[in-house]
Amino acid sequence: MASITLSIRRFIDRRLVPFLCPVLLLVVVTLAGSCSSEVQLPVIRLALQTEPTTADPVFAVDVSSGMLVSLIHQTLVCFDDDGRITPDLAESWELYPDGLTYVFKLGESGFADGSPVRASDVVFSLRRLLDPATLSPRWWVLEPVLGAKKYHSGGPFDEASISAPDDVTVVIRLERPTAHFLSLLSMPSASIVSYEMVAAAGKEYGRTPGGSGPWKLTRWSSGDELTLERNIYSSVKNVDVDGISLRIIPEPMTRIAEFEIGNIDILEVPRAELERWKSAGPALMEREELSVVYIGLNNSRPPFDDPRVRRAMNMAVDIETIIARVLFGAGRKAYGSIPPGLKGGQRGSDLYPYNPEKAAGLLAEAGYPDGFEVEIWQRENPEAGRILESVQAYLSRVGIKVKIVTREWGAFKQAVDHGSPDAFYLDWYADYPDAENFLMPLFHSSNRGGGGNRVLYSDSFVDSLLDAASSIADADKRLLVYMGVESTVYEDAPWIFLWFPVRYEVVSYRLKGYSIPVIFNSRRFTDISIR
Amino acid sequence: MLRFTARRLLMLVPILFGVVTVTFFLMYVMPGDPVLALAGERYDEETLESLRKEYGLDKPLHLQYVDYLSRLARFDLGRSFITGRPVSESIAERFPRTMLLALSAMAIAVIAGVLTGGLSAWGRYPWLGKTLMGLSLAGVSIPVFWLGLLLIHLFSIKLGIFPPSGYGGGSIRYLVLPALTLSFASMATIARVTRSGFLEAGAGDFVRTARAKGLAESKVIGKHVFRNALIPVVTIVGTDFGSYLSGSVLTETIFGWPGLGRFIVQAIMKRDFPVIQGSILFMAVMFVLVNLLVDLSYGMIDPRVREKEGPG
Repeated sequence: MASITLSIRRFIDRRLVPFLCPVLLLVVVTLAGSCSSEVQLPVIRLALQTEPTTADPVFAVDVSSGMLVSLIHQTLVCFDDDGRITPDLAESWELYPDGLTYVFKLGESGFADGSPVRASDVVFSLRRLLDPATLSPRWWVLEPVLGAKKYHSGGPFDEASISAPDDVTVVIRLERPTAHFLSLLSMPSASIVSYEMVAAAGKEYGRTPGGSGPWKLTRWSSGDELTLERNIYSSVKNVDVDGISLRIIPEPMTRIAEFEIGNIDILEVPRAELERWKSAGPALMEREELSVVYIGLNNSRPPFDDPRVRRAMNMAVDIETIIARVLFGAGRKAYGSIPPGLKGGQRGSDLYPYNPEKAAGLLAEAGYPDGFEVEIWQRENPEAGRILESVQAYLSRVGIKVKIVTREWGAFKQAVDHGSPDAFYLDWYADYPDAENFLMPLFHSSNRGGGGNRVLYSDSFVDSLLDAASSIADADKRLLVYMGVESTVYEDAPWIFLWFPVRYEVVSYRLKGYSIPVIFNSRRFTDISIR
Repeated sequence: MLRFTARRLLMLVPILFGVVTVTFFLMYVMPGDPVLALAGERYDEETLESLRKEYGLDKPLHLQYVDYLSRLARFDLGRSFITGRPVSESIAERFPRTMLLALSAMAIAVIAGVLTGGLSAWGRYPWLGKTLMGLSLAGVSIPVFWLGLLLIHLFSIKLGIFPPSGYGGGSIRYLVLPALTLSFASMATIARVTRSGFLEAGAGDFVRTARAKGLAESKVIGKHVFRNALIPVVTIVGTDFGSYLSGSVLTETIFGWPGLGRFIVQAIMKRDFPVIQGSILFMAVMFVLVNLLVDLSYGMIDPRVREKEGPG
């Protein structure tokens, strides 16, 4: 043993030391060279958790893709930061007294290749969305258009439904009056593309888009970074920076590190980190999101086909405490499904304050004096796990034994869309800021399953009110109807109504003029300057 | 050697056929529906049906399998359901990044692991050996996720030496932290195996013989001890490198490294069948080839293996 150790020592002394010295020197030089700080360009640097799948408006179904589409393209009208409809491609518009005909006058704008946007491009883009051959899952955005459903089912296209009498005028005729039609036109799916560019790119348009929005995509390195430059031909002005860099950083802690060392400009603060950011660093911005978090109860079969059981579930869980302890205060208890950020949202009072005794009484009345066993499904997510464990503890106090079932997103979605689980934890994000976007998909019986009504709620009175409301032109009257629907549904308790989340962001010192928009697709970064 | 290589290459065919078949049928056994990811929210059954038809998912399973095999025979991996991009194009974009990370991590693991193992076998300072082996035990036990975040905290936030994440076009600054994180577990295993290899080989009769015939000490170590101690190390390198080449999901996620691992996991989440099938097939080819290289290298290191394989 002594001889072997001696040999190794000699070997190290004679061979390795001379070899290691230059290697160590190289490492030191590399490190020293890398200490220089990054050059900061007049570019907004953002981090995305998930990579967009496409920049083609007709195929964008996720938030990242929708945001990318909105940066690159224009719609006829769009939302401002507060969710109000404002002009985009259309300078002005008019709705005829019949409530069925919209006439849009286009302003001057240009696609990324310099060609002007013409009314025929608008007709092409909207028709492309509806065309059954396009296979767009979002064709329903234009469903209110005259003959749209027939055309999408293989019938002929009604040339009068979307037409361009001249280069700057677009006429859209509707099947029935639809009060939220302009909101639908503001969705990324209804973005305007250039006929020539789509024809030239074919299937590749999603990777090589060129709309008339304020930005044009110059580089897309998969899984890594997307780079956008200013589109000088666009009519969207107030662009004060050279470009946007969208980096894909899936891990929240890494995004925080990138923000801390000044490599990204806007950071969504994870709730678990709120305390730290409240006390230090740049000012914390907050905005109530247009979304609602709930535990869906399968209304179509026992035990949740009995409204008393559903109400008992709402009363048995101390939601205020969960918000304070698990969400660190980043939410507001929901008294319905319409978020407070929308007109008509959160108007009523709390029908289900925490009251386990009353909940137990309701359960006994419904024939479950000893409670029952139930599975609550969730998709993989540590925060959801913590929330459901709290819910599980509260429900056990009234005799309800909860088994938490965790599935990854694909399996979860399939099961929930088919109404398999008895209960599930989920949220709903608005596509456009309108009460209709919550009530119609979530509670109309025609939307049961994948349409959004995953609790299979069915009430003919609610259906008829919702059908009637969408054709009421007067905004205040329409709102009254929606508030009636909201209170009916809330009393029926098809969900455990949990909370409306609050979004927190911090912004680097170099960015000026940024505010959190109410809806993701109005995020265009046009009124921002860099110090 | 040539025959051996040819035989092993021929064996690739049944192995890959097995991989292709198992992956194909696994797709259909696992829960989840690829068209649901395509449809997003607020879809109707009609939309799902037309999407199924477009992607051939409405055909009977055996016909889909035959279609898939015939496409593979033409070296066509198909297009992603979700992005519409050709799968081969995506793999070609991602693989060099994975390769870069895997090679760097392996280089660090081998150099640092063999050095540490060698040093700890060196009996001059027993405390050094014990400390290094203690560290290597920690290295095997530390979860990658925690180590990655720790390195980011130290080297990016506190010291400001390396960027916390990104690819940076392959720049070495962006490579150091992920490569170090990925290498850690292998480095520790290599160190432990090297140490025991050195001690075992050093005590062998052939070393005593070599020394007795008056061979220089450096040759005894370099030619006899080192080479014999290296065989188990090569095995570890082979297995670990093979798995690194198929992407390292955790490391890639923490450091936002745009490699194959994250790509495949995202595809699995979205049930993007062509991407999953294409990537797994590619990974299988890589794994088999790396293992072949490892087997061939045994022959170079150990003459006994060479003699056994040579004539046959």
